[in-house]
Amino acid sequence: MTTTLDAFAVWLRATDVSQAITASPWLWPVCEIAHFVGLSVLVGIVGFFDLRLLGFFRGVPLRAAWSLMPWGKAGFGLAALTGVTFFVGAPDQYVNNVAFYAKLAFLVVAGINALCFETLYGAIVKASPSLDRIPLTYRAIAVISIVSWFLVIYWGRMLPFVGNAF
Amino acid sequence: MAAALHSPPRMMDLLASLEASGFASWLRESGSIWGYPTVLTLHTLGLGVLVGASTVIDLRLLGAAPQIPLKPLRRLFPVMWVGFWINAISGVALFAADATTKGTTTVFLSKLAIIVVAIVVMAIKKMVFRDSAAEKTTVTVRALAVASLVLWLAAIVTGRYMAYV
Repeated sequence: MTTTLDAFAVWLRATDVSQAITASPWLWPVCEIAHFVGLSVLVGIVGFFDLRLLGFFRGVPLRAAWSLMPWGKAGFGLAALTGVTFFVGAPDQYVNNVAFYAKLAFLVVAGINALCFETLYGAIVKASPSLDRIPLTYRAIAVISIVSWFLVIYWGRMLPFVGNAF
Repeated sequence: MAAALHSPPRMMDLLASLEASGFASWLRESGSIWGYPTVLTLHTLGLGVLVGASTVIDLRLLGAAPQIPLKPLRRLFPVMWVGFWINAISGVALFAADATTKGTTTVFLSKLAIIVVAIVVMAIKKMVFRDSAAEKTTVTVRALAVASLVLWLAAIVTGRYMAYV
């Protein structure tokens, strides 16, 4: 399995896109900055909504807190786009790196968790002015959100230190 | 580009002894995952919390999600301070590990200056929240929000640049 991944990494690295990414002296640092900006926006907005679900900032109607979510998604989008850029630019740094797979795993958890909430409860949140008691399911989803995003950041930060390459 | 400033000899002695201290040496050399990687992770988390919370307030002050009342957002200030102190402490650790090299660069000193200004702006923003009748987003308030966003972005830029110094 490692050989297939290595072969894929070698192939990807040889593409024009990959070469272009690393040929530019400024693109990588700019993407890193954008990655941090994206994650900060995500942490702020998703974190704020999660804390609201857990009972903090009670003066803020649930629907109002939820209305910031498009910005949170934009932050995620920026982080995801720059993340893909890193992967395409230097796949060898990631394909054999345990931290990368751990990060991906928790990204999937965080993503599915967010999708579940939006699909199952998004309409309710948008319609209701305020909920006197936040349902247990909402609060469980909030906890999963906080924990999984924390672990995404943790494993992301560990990328150069765990596993190989960098 | 990344020139070290001319530091007076006594200052360099101080920085050198800080860098040679037990803790700083351990952080820099041990290779333990509980050392440098952990401190860096804390620094990332702190900035996420600080800049994240600040962004929520700034977006609101700039007119996003107007149904969010301002008064409850006051509780975000303690959250920002937690993020700030995590970064101040992890920052001191990171500084100590490379005090004589990275710690004397223009980039680093610029970063500190930017953060000082950002904190001042944060304090001024707090005053907006004291007057709960000030739901109106005036020009001053919006300017503060923009300044805050720009300053924290600048802090992130200079911080990231330090990895290349």
